[in-house]
Amino acid sequence: MSAKPYGLIATFDTTPSVYHAAEQVRDAGYKNWDCITPFPVHGLDKAMGVKRSHVPKFSLCGGILGFTTGMSLIIYTSYFNYPLIVGGKPYFSPLFAFPVSYELTILFTAFATIGGMLFLNGLPQHYHPVLKSDKILSGMDDKFHIVIECSDPLFNLAQTKALLEKAGGKDIQELEA
Amino acid sequence: MSTHAATAPAALSSSETSVSSPAAKALGVGIAGIVLTILGLFVSGGKVIAFSWLTGVTFWTAIAIGMLMLVMIHHILDASWSVVLRRQFEHALSAFPWLALLFAPLVIVSLTGNHDLIWKWMNPDYILANGHTIGHDPLYVKKAAFLNLPMFIAMTALCFIVWIWLSARLRKASFAQDTDGDLKWTYMNRKTAAFGLALGAVTLTLASIYWVKSLDYHWFSTMFGVWFFADCVRGALSIGVLMLLWLYQRGDLKGILNTNHLHSAGMLVFAFTVFWGYITFSQYFLIWNANIPEETFWYNLREITKAGEPSQWKYVGMFLLFGHFLAPFLYLLSYKNKVVHSRIKPAVIWILFVILIDVIYNIAPAVKDYTTGEPKAFLGLGLLWTFTSVVGVGGIFFWSYFKSFPKTKLIPIRDPRITECLTHHE
Repeated sequence: MSAKPYGLIATFDTTPSVYHAAEQVRDAGYKNWDCITPFPVHGLDKAMGVKRSHVPKFSLCGGILGFTTGMSLIIYTSYFNYPLIVGGKPYFSPLFAFPVSYELTILFTAFATIGGMLFLNGLPQHYHPVLKSDKILSGMDDKFHIVIECSDPLFNLAQTKALLEKAGGKDIQELEA
Repeated sequence: MSTHAATAPAALSSSETSVSSPAAKALGVGIAGIVLTILGLFVSGGKVIAFSWLTGVTFWTAIAIGMLMLVMIHHILDASWSVVLRRQFEHALSAFPWLALLFAPLVIVSLTGNHDLIWKWMNPDYILANGHTIGHDPLYVKKAAFLNLPMFIAMTALCFIVWIWLSARLRKASFAQDTDGDLKWTYMNRKTAAFGLALGAVTLTLASIYWVKSLDYHWFSTMFGVWFFADCVRGALSIGVLMLLWLYQRGDLKGILNTNHLHSAGMLVFAFTVFWGYITFSQYFLIWNANIPEETFWYNLREITKAGEPSQWKYVGMFLLFGHFLAPFLYLLSYKNKVVHSRIKPAVIWILFVILIDVIYNIAPAVKDYTTGEPKAFLGLGLLWTFTSVVGVGGIFFWSYFKSFPKTKLIPIRDPRITECLTHHE
C-alpha cells in the first residue's frame, strides 16, 4: 500500500539560512507550508509572511459576551426574578452589576482566547505527517526544517524541490501523509 | 538585528545638535502663559487664579512624578525595552526644581492674610455654613495633627526635596554611564529605585492629599493616592510617547524606535486606562454603596445643585467616564491604533486632555460662589485661567526638558540593556 504524499521537507543547519530560505519560499507565493525550529526564532513570522493572529477577534467577542452575561444575570435575578431592596438601593443599577460583569468579561475573554487559539491552530491534533519522519527529532534538537505541503496550489514536486535547493535546503525528502 | 546597531551611532550624532530653539520657544510659551494668568488676577480675583494655578502646577507635577516612578520601575524590574524611553524621562525629571518654584506662590499666599485663600482649614477661625468655625469642627479636630499650616509646608517641601533628590541621583548615574560605561551606575540606579519607589509612593500620596483632597477636608477616600498615581503614570506615558514620536519625526530616533517600542508603551497606556477606570469606579462604588454623608457630599457637589438640579459638573463627570475610560479603552484595544504614528498620537493627546479635565474635576468644585455657596460652574473664566496656567507651567516644564536634552547622548549608549532595547521584539 503506497501512502499518499504529504509534502517536501528540507533541512537547514543555521538560523540565518532557514530565515532567508523562508523569505524565498514566501516570495515564491506558497501558502501551505511551515518552519520547524528547535526554539522560537524572532522575526521568522515576518520572513514567512505570516499575518497578525486572528485570536484577538475571538477575545473581543468573548469579552462582549461576558459583559452582557454579567449585566443580564444581575438584571434578571435582582430586577425580574426576585426583586429585593438591599441597603436602600434600586432593584437594578449598573453600579453593583459592574463587578460581576467585569469579572465575567475577564473570564469569558480568557476562555475565548484559549479556545480561539486552539481552534485556529487546529488543536488538539493527534497525528501530523511530519511526526512520521525522523527529521522531527533533529528539528527538536539542533536542525531547522521547512515543510511545503502538496496541498499548496503552487506545489509541483520538481519545481518546489528546486526552490528548496536554491534556498539552501539540504537532504530534501518526500513526506507521506 | 545588526542593522539597528549599525544605524544607531549615525543617528546619535544629532543629539549633539542644538535644541536651543525649542527651548527658547517653550520658555516663551511658558512666560506668556504665566503673564496671562497674572493678568487674570485683575479680572477674576485671587481665589479663582490660585485654584487655576494649583490645577496647572498639579497637572505637570503629576506628569513629572509619573516619569520618576516609571524610571524607577524600569530600574527595579531590570527592564530592557524602555531604555530609549527612559532617557527622555530623565531629561524631563530636571523640571522638579522649577515645579517647586512654581508651587511656591501657593504656599506664599497661604502664609499671608487669613491663610484660607485656597485650603480653608489653614484658618481655624474660618466660619462654616452652619455658623461654627473650622477650629470647632470635629471632623477637622480629628485631622488637625495633619491638616495645619506648618505640616503642609513641611510635607510639601519634603515631597519636592525627595523628588528632586531621587531625580538627581537617577540622572547623575545614567548620564555618567554614557561616558564611562561602568556597571556600578546601573546597580546604583537599582538601589535608588528600591527605596525610591517606596518614597515616591508615600510622597505622591501625601502631595495628592495635601494639595487636592484636603480642599474638601471632610471627605474620606482611601483610593485617592492611587487615583493620583494612575493619572501620574498615564500622563507620563502619554508625554513619553509624544517625545518619542517628535524625536522620530525630527530624525533623531530613525533606526532606533521600532513599532514594538510603541506597542509596549501603548500597552502600558492601555493598562493604566483600565487601572484608572478600576480605581475611579471603586472610589465611586464604595462611597455610593456605603452612602455616608461625610463621603457622598463630595460627589453631590459634583452632580447636583442645592435645589436638586443637575449641575455642569455632572456632565463633566459623565464626560470623564466615557472620555477618560471608555473611549481610550476601546480605541487602544486595537494593535494598529497603538503602533501607527498617526493613530497613537491623537490618542495620547486626548488622554492628556482628559487627565487635565480629571484634575480640574477634583480641584475646581472646591471654589464656591460667594452668593449661592454652590461650586462655581465648570464653564467660566476659571477654566480659561486654568488653561493659561497649564500652558505656563507646561512651557517651563518643556523648557527644562529641552535644556537638559543636549547635556548627554540621545539614548543611553552604554546601558547594559541597550542592545536588547534596540532589537526589542514581541
